[in-house]
Amino acid sequence: MPDTRKDNLEQELREIIAKIVEIEPERITLEANFVEDLGMDSMMALEILAAMEKKYKIQVPEEKLNQLKTLKDAIKLTEDYLK
Amino acid sequence: MNKPFKDKVAIVTGGSRGIGRAIVLEFIRSGAKVVFTYLKSADAAAKLLDEIKEMNGEAEAVASDSRDYAKARQVIEETLKRFGRLDILVNNAGIIKDKALMMMEPSEWQEVIDTNLTGYFNMSRASIVTMMKRRCGNIVNISSVAGVVGMARQANYSSAKAGIIGLTKSLAKEVGPYNIRVNAVAPGYIETDMTKDLKTKDNLTKLIPSGRFGHPEEVAKTVTFLASDEACYITGQVIKVDGGLAI
Repeated sequence: MPDTRKDNLEQELREIIAKIVEIEPERITLEANFVEDLGMDSMMALEILAAMEKKYKIQVPEEKLNQLKTLKDAIKLTEDYLK
Repeated sequence: MNKPFKDKVAIVTGGSRGIGRAIVLEFIRSGAKVVFTYLKSADAAAKLLDEIKEMNGEAEAVASDSRDYAKARQVIEETLKRFGRLDILVNNAGIIKDKALMMMEPSEWQEVIDTNLTGYFNMSRASIVTMMKRRCGNIVNISSVAGVVGMARQANYSSAKAGIIGLTKSLAKEVGPYNIRVNAVAPGYIETDMTKDLKTKDNLTKLIPSGRFGHPEEVAKTVTFLASDEACYITGQVIKVDGGLAI
């Protein structure tokens, strides 16, 4: 994936997550843990997953839900299922 | 005829006989597509499929054991593969192993808990993410008045059925914000294979204010009502269909 597309993906996902968690996008660093650092509850991870699926028209198996803990994870999952 | 469930897809566990069968037929009559599970009753399942075909309904029978989570998950996958969506889950599969507690083997306790309670958890767990993602869904759990008032010689069954009520209320609170409703129906004595051998039927009938056993169709009507949009503000409730037995 070209870097510009990856940058876009990072930015888009950051905005999606910021909207769901209702915090400023800049607080969502690649490594910030959704639960421990950003105060998310477990239900929000599902909302993020659903939003990712809708935006990128992908289908992520629900077993992957517990792998979605940071923005970095969200990018990886999206990339994996965009292929 | 009115088809309130047109384009809707329902799963009914233990759907080949008794109350489950009546629920399957009621959904078909109301326009839903149905996947029903059975464990041992392959002949009854095939017969029901024929009946549904004659009604121009669409259904699939899946041999499955809801005591096993992986198998419960397969039922959901099969439903999504066949019909593309899941709107309603009716947990109904149940067994009885009635005995006085002093004579009850631990295995007889466990088997009833595994099927009647853990099976409901497994199916609910296997389908809830699909429903939550769509922000839409409906679960109806078949409990029993035994779970509300207790029944002698049914400590295992009553415990499982009371557990179902706890599951129903907890899950209703948890997924209400996702537009998913969860309710329970608690039948009393209903004319099915499960009650046909009751030796004390006459005495039991005297305890029922309505003066008779109920029909599976009467339970089924309550289930389809709860699953319908008519009941859109009802969640976490236990509706007794018992002719007044447990007033």
